Amino acid sequence: MPPGGADAFAGGHCVIVRRAFPMIELKLILINGLISGGGYALLAVGFSLIFGVARIVNLAHTAFYMLAAYFVYAFAKLLGLPLPLSVVLSIIVVVIIGVLAYRIVIDPIRGRETTILIVTIALAIIIQESVSIKFGTAATQPGRLISGYTTILDVKVFNRDLLAFGVATITLLGTWVLLMRTRLGIAIRATAQDREVANLMGINVARTGMITMAIAVGLAAIAGAVKAPAATPTMWMQPLVIVLAIVVLGGLGSIKGSFVGAIILGLAGASVVVLFPEHAFLKEAVALAIMLAVILIRPEGLFGVAFEEER
Amino acid sequence: MGILTAYVGGAYNALRGEVLVLPSRTAVLLFGLLLFLVPLMTEHSYYLGVLTLACIFAIFAASWDLLSGFTGQVNFGHALFFGVAVYVSALLNIHLGLHPGLTIPLGALAAAAAGFLVGLACLRLRGTYLAFATLAFSLIVAGIIQAIPGTGGTLGVTGVKSIQHLSESVVVEYYVALVLLVVLGYTMWKITDSKTGIIFHAIREDEVTARASGINTTRYKLLAFCLSGLFAGIAGGLYAHHVLIAGPSTLALMISFQAIIWAVFGGIATIYGPIAGVFILFPLMEYLQRAVPEYRMLAVALIIVLVMLFMPEGLITWVRDKIEKVCPRCKLRNIATRRTCRVCTADLD
Amino acid sequence: MNKLMKLIIVLLVASLAAVAVGCDEDEESTPTPAANEIKIGVIGPMAYIQGEHHWNGALMARDEINAEGGIMVGDDEYQIRLVKADSNEITSPTDAVSAMERLITVDEVDFVVGGFRSESALAMQEKAMEHQMIFLGAGASEVELNTRVAADYDKYKYWFRVSPVNGTYLTRISFMLTGMVAQKIGALTFPDAPKIAILAESAEWANPLVDAAQGYFAAPPPNGMGLDVVGTWRPSQMATDVTAELTAIEAAGANIIYTVVSGPLGVAYTRTWGELEIPAASVGINVEAQKGNFLDATGGYGAYETTLNTYARVEITDETIAFYDAFEDKFGEIPIYTAGTYDAIKILKAAIESAGTLDKDAVVTAIEATDMIGPPGKMAFMGTDTDTPHDVTWGPGSVTGVGVQWQDGELKCVWPDAGGSLDPVFYEGTVDYVLPPWVVDALTE
Repeated sequence: MPPGGADAFAGGHCVIVRRAFPMIELKLILINGLISGGGYALLAVGFSLIFGVARIVNLAHTAFYMLAAYFVYAFAKLLGLPLPLSVVLSIIVVVIIGVLAYRIVIDPIRGRETTILIVTIALAIIIQESVSIKFGTAATQPGRLISGYTTILDVKVFNRDLLAFGVATITLLGTWVLLMRTRLGIAIRATAQDREVANLMGINVARTGMITMAIAVGLAAIAGAVKAPAATPTMWMQPLVIVLAIVVLGGLGSIKGSFVGAIILGLAGASVVVLFPEHAFLKEAVALAIMLAVILIRPEGLFGVAFEEER
Repeated sequence: MGILTAYVGGAYNALRGEVLVLPSRTAVLLFGLLLFLVPLMTEHSYYLGVLTLACIFAIFAASWDLLSGFTGQVNFGHALFFGVAVYVSALLNIHLGLHPGLTIPLGALAAAAAGFLVGLACLRLRGTYLAFATLAFSLIVAGIIQAIPGTGGTLGVTGVKSIQHLSESVVVEYYVALVLLVVLGYTMWKITDSKTGIIFHAIREDEVTARASGINTTRYKLLAFCLSGLFAGIAGGLYAHHVLIAGPSTLALMISFQAIIWAVFGGIATIYGPIAGVFILFPLMEYLQRAVPEYRMLAVALIIVLVMLFMPEGLITWVRDKIEKVCPRCKLRNIATRRTCRVCTADLD
Repeated sequence: MNKLMKLIIVLLVASLAAVAVGCDEDEESTPTPAANEIKIGVIGPMAYIQGEHHWNGALMARDEINAEGGIMVGDDEYQIRLVKADSNEITSPTDAVSAMERLITVDEVDFVVGGFRSESALAMQEKAMEHQMIFLGAGASEVELNTRVAADYDKYKYWFRVSPVNGTYLTRISFMLTGMVAQKIGALTFPDAPKIAILAESAEWANPLVDAAQGYFAAPPPNGMGLDVVGTWRPSQMATDVTAELTAIEAAGANIIYTVVSGPLGVAYTRTWGELEIPAASVGINVEAQKGNFLDATGGYGAYETTLNTYARVEITDETIAFYDAFEDKFGEIPIYTAGTYDAIKILKAAIESAGTLDKDAVVTAIEATDMIGPPGKMAFMGTDTDTPHDVTWGPGSVTGVGVQWQDGELKCVWPDAGGSLDPVFYEGTVDYVLPPWVVDALTE
């Protein structure tokens, strides 16, 4: 074995007094869990919304998240636009693409569950491949609105993550108000509850579906444009799995459920990393196991509705 | 001698009456024959290798159809059955030195057991919840397999013996896969055509009514999971002995998605649809890999979207419905050119 | 769906298809068959930088050799023709096996170079050996690839590993590199021993490194480094966010992070490390940090990241800087270790010429006798009496590997350092390792 570089401190091999660990572990779990949970929530709420309204399981949902990160990169780095403008533009462009995708490929096959699944996977692959042909597969850096970090309760938190958390809270509150307090929100919820009756009541269900898709993709795009770490064309897969776990855990179609589910799985993921560092790679498996445990006991998830009448 | 003549005559009549009357069945027969003749045209190990894999994946896709297409239990984690069988067959072969003739059935049994367990756990779940629960099972196993000693972690295990060592010829390997495809495909098709198959159908259409009619739907759902696991497991065992490795990639999300893509592309609830889907898409992928490697995924994804958009029931189902029509009275299929039903002579239009 | 919409879609797809067909014509697809040709298959994940550098390294070797009159087999002159095969091995070992089969039986190549992901490389090796195809690896470090040669020489003798040095040596040199960093940190933490955290992706190739590291770091000298190991973190290979891991490492009080990362995780990791100013020096293996665009990819936070590498722009041998510069001129990128296909083809040329024939077994014997100066050092293969025959030999005077650090926007060689662990090996152009300023600040507060 090599001599190493230990001579300088060979004499100083002494007992290390660790800090009060349980406390700091708790802080780590809490802060990291909430931050990542907030990010997941942005993705999960949109996914849940479009499922609730149009019964569409949009597996391309997180691909829009990835796409937004790349558009920020394209606008800011390749076209040289100012970053805030790039972020706004990228969100707008991704929403337009999302709505077009909805109109052209998703809506026509609505009602065919399995067909939707594979068409949306194909859509995600189309987005992924287009991005990797255009930008390559190597990780790129979209650029950040703000950099640096803040220390909260002895734990360092990215300012961009704080921003994303703030944005997530505001957008989610906004979505909540929109759903609960506006006519459009009533229309969306009515369509979610019973599409046919909503249609009979004079709600333009097709338009409602499109607007919902716009909101859902918009939320994903915000997450991608503001929060995404280094962008790679395959960065949609892992979040997709977590998002699926969250929405099923919380109850499909339930906004509240998605939010709670996101926080639970965020905390669970952070706990795995902090408490079982050698098995940090089991983060996803643990999230999925939690989801399984919940739905095996409560098949409709935490806040879901059992859609008996659907059959 | 007379018996033999009668037998041949019976076979000929069956062929004429049951197969040649329908273009779809004739096509299946011709396609099957063609596959059997391929080794006469080329003994090239690459082309036969691609077709061998296509046979293996065709069994896999059809087994998904048996469960999800017919019974409506949409399985999003079909790779679990495949992967379990791959690992079991490979480990038995490497450590105990068992013959592929034993490891493949044992792997398939393990997969059937996995099917039973997943089915049991998911009995109360339906639709999208069921889909994601099955997905979770496959991904959890894919995750913890890295933590289990003896599985080789992310590297997988190597050193599996090939079937072809029996005779040192890729042709043998190809025929083994092909014969299994034909036999298993026919078996699956027969199952769906039997009383059990009708019950599977009933469960998909309306589980509550099926139960109200005195059918123990729980038992049949579990049966569907087991059978599907069994067939997927045979595909997995063959795969292990063809590719000669067992790695976590056999449990990956993409394998599950591929089964669904092949099946839905071809047309679900047909058995032959998924098989055709594999034989179209898999060689196409291989071809594109060679011709335009950068664009192949994009091209295939575009083709899938287009086909699904214009033929939402699947390519093969679409073609079948163009060349055949269903008799409104007795529900039997007839060639599209006929004016009256071949059995009950009712008007077809 | 209305007619118009269908029309739009069809037009859209048609134009896409036209683009796809129109703009894809590789230079290799339309060769003029020379009278005498040696076909070499280059296999790798071509959509990724690892495969790209497999190909680029091979291109350079081909151009140099062909320009100098090709390969002489006896008195006949052979030109090299390359065949590119996208193994897609990062996602699918099945595809990798198919690609290998295709290279061998359809393209009928004479030799194969490349390979990257261990799971796929093992499968491809199996396929190549079945066909008795000489396969020179330039990417996978898995030891088993070569212990197989020891176990069944007749079957596996057609396999050689050119790059990188095998996992056992990677472990050893990564410890030496870490030792150098630990010494600098130790001077600041004195009299306490530095605390070290291990961050390794959950991949099989990383396991032996992690096991060895846990023992060696903690053991007191001379059998170890006498460091205080505060923990081991194993995020998933596919992870995109390791903020939780890094904040936990900071909370554990680590002064050094020993990294074992080969995938894109390396970018997210370094970015988070730099931006959060985690007060611990980062050193080990981070393949992403070998790439030229690393600083860009990390948003500038990649400065001070330190990793093992095969190449560096120092005088490892007389050829190193020339190769490095030529590669950068030609492809606009600095070579990562999979560009070892360059050495692989040079080795092949030498072996064929000394064997004087294309006979497989004769060429294998000639490759075994390789003794060649190349960009990564003096290249020779380990003998059949070792545990890992056909592995590129590691050690002073042979291939040593180098430690590189991002300093002032450039990837600089920092190890072997003068008077350091590999003394007297020192390559002209090597600079001093620099501790990240925030680490120094945290330790001197």
